[in-house]
Amino acid sequence: MKVLIVDDEQPARERLRQLVSDGGQHEVVAEAGNGEQAIALATQHNPDVVLLDIRMPGVDGIETAHHLNAMDTPPAVVFTTAYDEYAIDAFDARAIGYVLKPVRRERLERALEHAARISGQMLNQLTAETNLKSRRQHVCTREQGELRLLPIADISHFIADQKYVTVHHSGGNSLIDDSLKQLEEEFSEAFVRIHRNTLVALQQIDRIEKTEDGKPALILRNGQGDGGDALIISRRHLAEVRRRLKGS
Amino acid sequence: MGNNPDSGQTNDQSNDQNSDQAYLPDFCATSSVFIIVLLAEIIAILLTLAGKPAPGEFMIELAKISLFVLWQALLSALVMCSFRNQLESRGKTQAFIVSFAVLLVMSIVLAEAAYQTTKIFGELVIINDTHSGFVLRTVGISSIVIALTMRYLYVSSEWRRSIALEAQARIKALQAVIRPHFLFNSMNTIASLTRSDPRRAEEAVEDLSDLLRANLGGSGDRTSLKAELEVAAIYQRIEKLRLGDRLNVRWDVADLPMRALIPSLVIQPLLENAIYHGIELIPDGGDVDISGKRDGDFLHISISNPVAKGELRAKGGNKMAMTNIQQRFSLVYDSRATVDVDASDDRFTVKLRFPFEEKRA
Repeated sequence: MKVLIVDDEQPARERLRQLVSDGGQHEVVAEAGNGEQAIALATQHNPDVVLLDIRMPGVDGIETAHHLNAMDTPPAVVFTTAYDEYAIDAFDARAIGYVLKPVRRERLERALEHAARISGQMLNQLTAETNLKSRRQHVCTREQGELRLLPIADISHFIADQKYVTVHHSGGNSLIDDSLKQLEEEFSEAFVRIHRNTLVALQQIDRIEKTEDGKPALILRNGQGDGGDALIISRRHLAEVRRRLKGS
Repeated sequence: MGNNPDSGQTNDQSNDQNSDQAYLPDFCATSSVFIIVLLAEIIAILLTLAGKPAPGEFMIELAKISLFVLWQALLSALVMCSFRNQLESRGKTQAFIVSFAVLLVMSIVLAEAAYQTTKIFGELVIINDTHSGFVLRTVGISSIVIALTMRYLYVSSEWRRSIALEAQARIKALQAVIRPHFLFNSMNTIASLTRSDPRRAEEAVEDLSDLLRANLGGSGDRTSLKAELEVAAIYQRIEKLRLGDRLNVRWDVADLPMRALIPSLVIQPLLENAIYHGIELIPDGGDVDISGKRDGDFLHISISNPVAKGELRAKGGNKMAMTNIQQRFSLVYDSRATVDVDASDDRFTVKLRFPFEEKRA
């Protein structure tokens, strides 16, 4: 099997590499020092298994797993962790592969053999149960088959049409797989639903104005909504939008 | 930082701990003598009232009885004071039996002496009783009073002991414990270095041992600043192996008197916090600044670390360690020390201010 090692600590990566090559059955195709690098290397090498450290700066292990899981052929994920009580409990409950540091050779080999693919649902439950960063800090977009991480802070709004959700961000628009409902639940603190098909970042809202035909609409700080595509606030959501704007 | 209004707290505690085995109070102390006199007078009043004094004679009766009771009480105190050390060295039960016997015999001797004295000065009729009647009454009253006092001392010594144990347990519990996270990660690092760099693996094992020893050793006592900074430096070395270039600690402590006392295991846990909540969460790491200066009778030490974006709100664990240190500072210094936290945009800083004290020779 092709193995990708992800850990922010060099000695920890080194040890995993030693142990994997000791076994002689598997091949380490790449090492990543953080989550973003891991996602890039995963799309490049298509590993069968990713050994993924949980506590990493920036995009942590759990979030990385979410994004890896969005790949066309997602790799199996085996988490490695030194001591995260909650995470370990959650893994046990979901029967998700993990090894504890310091890593034991037999334990690692068993985990590689059993490496099962994690479903999105399992990951969602895991995220809910672990006491790590429970919310993602990025959404995962796909451009020409490549995964890209988009920081939540760069996003102004999401718009759903029949099939896809388009995310509007400082670098343009991209398509994502998540549903608007999921996004609304996950990012309820920072985003507000203004319409059946629109979710807007509170931070980005400048003001509410009336359109020519008298409907209330949002103008964003970056000028969007002014002119062309109006961000209409539906009557059902208007009170809530006003309340959230006052509150922030 | 919580100001503790009970300024005697620390002293009481250290006394309790020093005299862990002391169950008899120090009868030579002025405060003890005062209480003994007070108790003696209460007994004297009790006896006078029970004796049904003739009208207008109350004060005279009280004076007579007080004279006798005070003699009894103060001589008892004197005896207990001089034999306290011998008594303490025996078991508790034995000590109480012996002191009971000694005090009772002394009270009989004193009763006899008092009777003989009044006989010589026959004019002063102080004791209206037969010889044997007087001595027997004295024996009865004395044995009851002595027994009650003994019982009281026993119970209160038990009580003090349990308080002392409780305080000690509290300090122990408050003592910062090494995070399991750190321990297991270090072990993992050592496992890795064992092959690639045995020399450094060896050093890491030595460092880790020293660190564990420091953590197991101190029981809330104070240590020299030199030793405390040394522990922090060892900790830094271990973390450096793991984090590499991401961790950079800048020390600026030359101004601090190294012989000054500081509660043990304060700097290292703060450095650990700075790394766990700061450096480790930043992809490129950063600088931890540890600086100290002396300002007259006070020492200032501050530890500051960069904070990852969006991580500024201190997490539970961080607050717990801070509360821990604040409580220990207030146990040791009462309100003379402060622990302040400054969380500005991109740095988290803990500032300690505590009195400059040296170890007494």
